[in-house]
Amino acid sequence: MKKTARAAATVAACVTAATVLAGCSGSGSAGSGSTTLSIATLTLPQSLDPADANGSALPFFQAVYDTLLKREPDGTYAPMLATAWKYNDDRTELALTLRGDVKFDDGTPFDAAAVKANMERFVKKTGAQAKTLKDVESIEVVDAAHVTLKLGRPNPAMLFYLSDAAGLMANPAAFAKSGDPLKTRPDGTGPYELDTGKTAIGTRWAFRRATSYWGRGLPYENVTINYFDNETALVNGIKTGQVNAAVLQDADQQAGVENAPKVTTVKQEFDFQGLLLFDRGGVVTPALRDTRVRQAINHAIDRRTMLDKLRQGRGQITNQIFGTDTAAYKKELDAYYAHDPAKARELLKQAGFGGGFTLRLPRITAIVPDALASSLQTDLGKVGIKVTWQTIDPGSIRQVFGQRAYSAMVMNLGQSATDWVTVGDYVTPGVFNMFGYSDATVKELLPKIQRAPVEEAGPHLQALNEHLVKDAWFVPFYRMTYLHVSDGSVKITPQSGMAVPSLYNYAPAK
Amino acid sequence: MLSFIARRIAAGAVLLFVISFLSHLLLSVPDLDVGRQLLGSGATQDLVDAKNAELGLDRSVLVQYLDWVAHAVRGDFGTSWFTGENVVQAIGTRLPVTISLLVGVTLVTAVLSLLLGVWAGVRRGGPVDRLVQVLAVAGYALPGFLVTLIIVVVFAVRLGWFPAIGYTGFTESPSGWLSTVTLPILSLSVGSVAGLTQQVRAAVIDVLRQDYVRTLRARGLPPSRIVFRHVVRNAAAPALTVLGVQFVGLLGGAVLVEQIFGLPGLGGMTVAYTTRGDIPVIMALVMVTVLVVVTINLVVDVLIGWLNPKARVA
Repeated sequence: MKKTARAAATVAACVTAATVLAGCSGSGSAGSGSTTLSIATLTLPQSLDPADANGSALPFFQAVYDTLLKREPDGTYAPMLATAWKYNDDRTELALTLRGDVKFDDGTPFDAAAVKANMERFVKKTGAQAKTLKDVESIEVVDAAHVTLKLGRPNPAMLFYLSDAAGLMANPAAFAKSGDPLKTRPDGTGPYELDTGKTAIGTRWAFRRATSYWGRGLPYENVTINYFDNETALVNGIKTGQVNAAVLQDADQQAGVENAPKVTTVKQEFDFQGLLLFDRGGVVTPALRDTRVRQAINHAIDRRTMLDKLRQGRGQITNQIFGTDTAAYKKELDAYYAHDPAKARELLKQAGFGGGFTLRLPRITAIVPDALASSLQTDLGKVGIKVTWQTIDPGSIRQVFGQRAYSAMVMNLGQSATDWVTVGDYVTPGVFNMFGYSDATVKELLPKIQRAPVEEAGPHLQALNEHLVKDAWFVPFYRMTYLHVSDGSVKITPQSGMAVPSLYNYAPAK
Repeated sequence: MLSFIARRIAAGAVLLFVISFLSHLLLSVPDLDVGRQLLGSGATQDLVDAKNAELGLDRSVLVQYLDWVAHAVRGDFGTSWFTGENVVQAIGTRLPVTISLLVGVTLVTAVLSLLLGVWAGVRRGGPVDRLVQVLAVAGYALPGFLVTLIIVVVFAVRLGWFPAIGYTGFTESPSGWLSTVTLPILSLSVGSVAGLTQQVRAAVIDVLRQDYVRTLRARGLPPSRIVFRHVVRNAAAPALTVLGVQFVGLLGGAVLVEQIFGLPGLGGMTVAYTTRGDIPVIMALVMVTVLVVVTINLVVDVLIGWLNPKARVA
């Protein structure tokens, strides 16, 4: 039986030796230098089918697909698959001129028919973004290089949508195939193609430079996008150079990486956090029907303390849902509601709710951590509003949006640089206005904004924004500062109106 | 022995069926409107109904289950509802990661605990024994995630000896594989080595007190031979049982370690797909987990039987 002992000793020695050896040759698997760009993200795309695309997952799609219009980092539009675009006088027809030299891998030409097929499918597949094309009544193929979108009513955000998910163009030949091949084998005209051998869907997507790209390619031979479900792993990857670029949302993680050697950072304010009051008609919570009650909630909340304690001061207090890059934005509205519990109690009394009322709020713990939950409960409790939190898992968010079971919800939401995107998301009846509430002022202003050329809509938009703030449609807390971080090898240009940079916004650091 | 193994395999198969049926029942709650989740809140009810019909969710739970079994026995677990991946392929790419961790931790734990435990038990009160006691308490007392974070910061971020995140397949590069799994294995091993070493030490001390050991000593057998031939063999059975239990417990610990190291294993997958209610994937993951647990228990029982004939219950 001596053999056993010897064997055990040998195994132990091997394990130790192997560990030491590995330590000596320990080099990461991620690329460095300018041949591979390794991006880390907390966003998991549902699939790589454009029908499933949405804003924060856009870089995944930009690798393999082109959009009709390209959106530059400052939010302006540039030619991509469409070389020119023009509205008619009443802004109900948008004529696009297309490139004539683009083909999909199997030889299928990219032309007007392909645009029509893509956009019709986009609506039919009813992905999260399908609503963005709800104003498109029909798509007319003029000839191979010209296509016209006929709109039921003007939509000032249409160009934005064509530079976003709705503008992604896939190979129409893949539409008829069974089993949705685009979900796992994307087929577009983009600068990269998916390297299925090195890809593990759900954790790592590897892209290699497309053999023939019609445009000017990006500066990297390969791009990998790695999904993480926590920022700790991501920060460690940045510190060791295994990850070249990422966005950090968490204030503590930001603080932990700022002083690391070699790490470079760029700040950006994109998402705002706030309490969205859906039920302004008082269907579920009658108290919310009264403007004074909604104003009282705004006065009751101590935003400054929340920002300092919950986010280490990383952000800007705001009372408006429009972002700083929009025409509607008015700086003075950021501080319209001072923290004033006495005034809040007075407003509640005037509204006939001096005895307070109960507000049931859904809670997704990832968005509303304990500190935020108790802070809101305390602030609102002081003026007599009793907050009861009901924890729901992200899978049951349907109860909020589908069954309209709650009057309000705390969320982190993007602030688009395009005014009409914000209007479409939060003001017109739809996902975030599921009770379909509106009022006379809004009904009067919206058509004016829709019909005006974008450059002339400013005053109407500012009036709308001011009304939404003063009528307390929402309870925004603050815009959150996000931090773009790089291991020092990449220069990152933030994208206006997007939490993550476009794939085109990365370049080797000089 | 063979009939014992055959009986255990049969019991395992029955268990697979029972658990798969129960899982299916639990997952078929009417509130989980998959079609609505897939199509988003903007879709009309007609579209949602059509989608549910396409997925076969409009049939009775029993019919759905039998349909699932009919495909599963042929190795067809369908495709993910949300990502469109083939379930078998998706699990196939992630299984090696988690298995690497579990097997690695088990080997490291077995070898280290045996050496340290025997040493500490034989030389009670000596310096090694004291050290083992301190380490065991520390390994127990420190929470797993803290140990893991410290290990990452020290060995990956500060010293740069190992990568902080990611996984390289063994077939891709054996040395790369070793460098990516070393720290995760180390992190997971701390707690289990602490526990098992104590177990081995106690068992060794217990065996050394037995009469037959005194007899062997009186006959003049060399101490090393007594320890390795008699003592370890008798002390191994309880240690193996603990190791088997630990292995199953590691499945939970692996989730955390996979998250911190960003490893594409089953842990993260389980979390991501379960929260979305992706039934084809969840069912397959449940089956894999049950299979692993049943297999480990069988291996442990066989080993114990081989070490100690008395344990072979006919």
